[in-house]
Amino acid sequence: MGEHLLANYAEVVAVALFGIGFTNLLLQKNMIKKIIGLNIMDTAVYLFLAEKGYIDGHIAPIVVDGNLNPETYINPVPSGLVLTGIVVSVSVTALMLSLTIRLYRRYHTLDLDEITMRLKKEGL
Amino acid sequence: MEHMLLLSVFFPILAGIVLLLKKEYQTRDRLLVFVGAALVITGALACYAIFAVKDGVTLFYLTKTLPIYFKLDLMGRYFSLIVTIVWILAGFFSFTYMKHERNEKRYFGFYLIVFGVLLGLDFAGNLITMYLFYELMTLLSMPLVLHTQTRESIMAGLRYLFFSFAGAYMALAGVYFICRFGTTIEFTAGGVIEAAVLQENRTLFLIVTMLMLIGFGVKAGMFPLHAWLPTAHPVAPGPASAVLSGIIVKAGVLALVRVVYQLIGVEFLRGSWVQTVWMTLTLVTIFMGSLLAFREPVLKKRLAYSTVSQLSYILFGLSVMQPEAMTGALLHVSAHAFIKVALFLCAAAMIYQTGCTRVEELKGIGKGMPVMLWCYTIVSLGLIGIPPTSGFISKWSLAVGSLASNIPVFSWLGPVVLLVSALLTAGYLLPLTMQGFFPGEEYDASRFAGKEPSYGMLIPLLAFAALTVLIGLVPNGLTNQLFTFAAQVMQSI
Amino acid sequence: MEIIRNFPCLSILLAMFSAIISSALKGKGARRLNTFVVSAVGALSACTLYLTYTTGESYVYVMGHFPAPFGNEIRFGSLEAGMALFFCVIMLFSLNGGRDKIRLEIDPGKENLYYIMVDLLLSSLLVLVYTNDLFTAYVFVEINTIAACGLIMIMESGRAIEAATRYMIMSLLGSGLFLIGLCMLYDMTGHLLMSYIQASVRDIAAEGLYVIPLLVTIALIVVGLAIKSALFPFHAWLPDAYGYSTVSSAAMLSSLVSKGYIFLLIKIIYRVIGFDIFVQSRIINVLFVFGLAGMIMGSTSAIRENDIRRMISYSSVAQIGYIYMGFGLGSSVGMVASVFHILSHAATKSLLFVSGVGLTDVADDNKQFIELTGAAYRNVCAGLAFTVGSLSMVGIPLFSGFISKLLFSQAAVQSQMKMLPALIVLAISTILNTIYFMKTVIRIYTPIRSKYASVSIKENPLYAFTLLCFIVLNIVLGMCSQPITDWITQGLSVFA
Repeated sequence: MGEHLLANYAEVVAVALFGIGFTNLLLQKNMIKKIIGLNIMDTAVYLFLAEKGYIDGHIAPIVVDGNLNPETYINPVPSGLVLTGIVVSVSVTALMLSLTIRLYRRYHTLDLDEITMRLKKEGL
Repeated sequence: MEHMLLLSVFFPILAGIVLLLKKEYQTRDRLLVFVGAALVITGALACYAIFAVKDGVTLFYLTKTLPIYFKLDLMGRYFSLIVTIVWILAGFFSFTYMKHERNEKRYFGFYLIVFGVLLGLDFAGNLITMYLFYELMTLLSMPLVLHTQTRESIMAGLRYLFFSFAGAYMALAGVYFICRFGTTIEFTAGGVIEAAVLQENRTLFLIVTMLMLIGFGVKAGMFPLHAWLPTAHPVAPGPASAVLSGIIVKAGVLALVRVVYQLIGVEFLRGSWVQTVWMTLTLVTIFMGSLLAFREPVLKKRLAYSTVSQLSYILFGLSVMQPEAMTGALLHVSAHAFIKVALFLCAAAMIYQTGCTRVEELKGIGKGMPVMLWCYTIVSLGLIGIPPTSGFISKWSLAVGSLASNIPVFSWLGPVVLLVSALLTAGYLLPLTMQGFFPGEEYDASRFAGKEPSYGMLIPLLAFAALTVLIGLVPNGLTNQLFTFAAQVMQSI
Repeated sequence: MEIIRNFPCLSILLAMFSAIISSALKGKGARRLNTFVVSAVGALSACTLYLTYTTGESYVYVMGHFPAPFGNEIRFGSLEAGMALFFCVIMLFSLNGGRDKIRLEIDPGKENLYYIMVDLLLSSLLVLVYTNDLFTAYVFVEINTIAACGLIMIMESGRAIEAATRYMIMSLLGSGLFLIGLCMLYDMTGHLLMSYIQASVRDIAAEGLYVIPLLVTIALIVVGLAIKSALFPFHAWLPDAYGYSTVSSAAMLSSLVSKGYIFLLIKIIYRVIGFDIFVQSRIINVLFVFGLAGMIMGSTSAIRENDIRRMISYSSVAQIGYIYMGFGLGSSVGMVASVFHILSHAATKSLLFVSGVGLTDVADDNKQFIELTGAAYRNVCAGLAFTVGSLSMVGIPLFSGFISKLLFSQAAVQSQMKMLPALIVLAISTILNTIYFMKTVIRIYTPIRSKYASVSIKENPLYAFTLLCFIVLNIVLGMCSQPITDWITQGLSVFA
């Protein structure tokens, strides 16, 4: 067990980070902290993917000098996935931030639970 | 030829829908002509279907194995004949009665629709069709219960709906099992499930049967789920409570006959704990219903409690699982239908003419409404079971069958309870007659003078009274038919 | 015939490009374009359905120049094509039914934004239905979420924004779990295309390798999608999101968005993990238990609710419980029942939302029950449609709800262990459904001398027509269920 954890330390770190991000997104009251949690979570996944695609001693898959030997390069697919993931993550983060701004303008607080309390009061 | 089955089911439904969608009529007469014509035509179609059609007809397939299928067997013919007679007569009674209620168009619309649905229920040739029309009947008879739309009637309607659905879904669980294990879902004398399968899953099938008994028993007002009946029936307009109490509750009886005798099979159930529990429940209901009716001051509620009790006579006859007793039970279906409808129509006529609802307010009513009270008395005697009325014949067969069944304790306990309940029945029905005709020397009954209802109300009443006596005088043809049916479903397999 | 194979890709592109074009159009133009695109995609899907159903095969469409196992693919059989058609139909009806509300409730300058979101939603749904690539599925899950969030927050009331935020947070949690599950699956198998993953998963399972990682992966993916489709106990966001958005959004969210995720899950179960491996895992029992709990808890919450929109929303929680219960039964019959319930629930729930808004309209937008007394008399067609929807939900024969209950119980009876709990909970949940739907129906049919004005059919023929279409759809599902279950069975067999 112990040596498995050591051998796969990058995955362990990624999963731990994912857990941290997930709990933050779930449990924080403050909207900004939630968004930070979201980003930690996503980054953890990219770390995981990047680690999976990396092969020791190989170089980035950019063809220079006509070297087409696949043995020299790392696996390009995970890198592509990370790139796509970053795009998704950025757009989601932007949406969340814009929602936060709107809520803040209306209620002058970033605390989601407090906003819900106030809505309940004024609503019913 | 067999399409007449479909026609007589769908004609009244369509007529009702047309009536509901139409604009308000200019005059009341036009509405009555429309409804009257629809009732008579449906009656003629139904009679033709009942007496002439032999084959079944499939309407469409719900899924590959579940066709909507109509076929008339003796049970179907018998029940649909009762429905047709009562529905038309009570319909004509409503023509006068509904004058003092609002929203007549809606009432008659749903009245016609429920007529069609009931015919569909009686014509149904397999389980799923019966279940379909059973549910539709519950739903579409709701507006009749709710008609006055007072808070009381809405609460009663909700209660009716809730109990009915709870019962229907308990029964539905059984429907699933029968669809799964049965060789067919068509009603077959002796059952549709092979004996080996039944024995293999004995406990399961006993539980399922019990669920279906309680589930369909809800409609027939069987203890423990009877509480909706005394609240829901009296709040409807008079003729509606009459058909609710006389006819719609019989759907539960029909469903139970179908399930016990034509799907599960009586051989399997005889002697099991299910039979014991069922008999106990019915006897409890008979006694309790009579007792509650005896203590109830409001006439319509008293009649509703009486329905609870009388319906369990029928169920008791079915639960004994003996041909003679079953014949008695089936005879009591028609006897009770005609009598209870007549009693409710009497109550409706009294309310219509005098506005009185409680029994003690009706003291001396015989001075003003003698014909009506005579009808009431005759059918009351029928319900108590005094010869020469239909009630006597049916109760006699019930008692004889029960004694011949040789089930320990219940074979003699049954007739005893029947007898006690008959005494209670006399106790709650006859005081009205006695005080009505003989209010006492000093009692002033002049407020009832000249209140005799019009012919529109009297003729249906007289017809029901005549039917009650007629069946009592010449019961043999009917009894033989029903006995043949009972023997047939009990002996095969 | 050859050309039909291009239709799925074409319909996805059509939906996406219409979103882009809409940003340059005014509200009215965007609306027309949207109606056209939804109808066109529906027609294309119908052609695809015709092709796939008659041949009974599935087709693969290669996107771009890289062949499998590296490239991106679209794969469609009859089930996918039928689903796409069904989604288009429901979307068209929901938008038509809520059109007036959209005009009233949305700032006129932003109307075209609404239709952009709808176009995006359509395209992402189509991708979820058609794609053969897991990562593409993830990307479009996120696009779907963003579009759905846009549909909720377009109202710009405080409530709506708060609801959108909560929806967004829960969705992101769900897609996070889905993403990490996906990456682990990629790690184990080295593939992203569904068919290739399935082959590797089979090998792995046969050799007995990675037992725990595989279980964890399945759990992560299933839980992620369950959160997004609001399976109990992850449903907290749902009533607000459905209750405070404009009616078309609510109808589409409940009948399309959550169903899209569920369909993706079905696809993953069949085409990625493999149905037998899924059934062997213990996840299935968890789904069964949560499904049952949802069926009860959703209904009890709905009974306590005093707001008609939120009541309908809570009823969704119960209905989604039914679907997951069908998964949990672990038989192909249960799956067929679940897929049928997706259709039946989508048709009924959008009908209820759309007719519900007709009822609240004649009560000055009050959603409390007390104000709705007698509303069915003031808006006849909405009252009628609501009654039909309720009857279907309650499970009266002739309507679609009865058939799905029938299928569920037939599936339940086949399983020894799960038969009793499933049947008992089905019965209890049906009775609970009866309580709150019939309560509402009686409430709206209780006559009262009301201060609110009534609406006649002539004032809004489109609305009445939409409701009529919904009712017909419901009855068709209820009465001609045999061809539909045949189609689902065929589609699922082509799936694997």
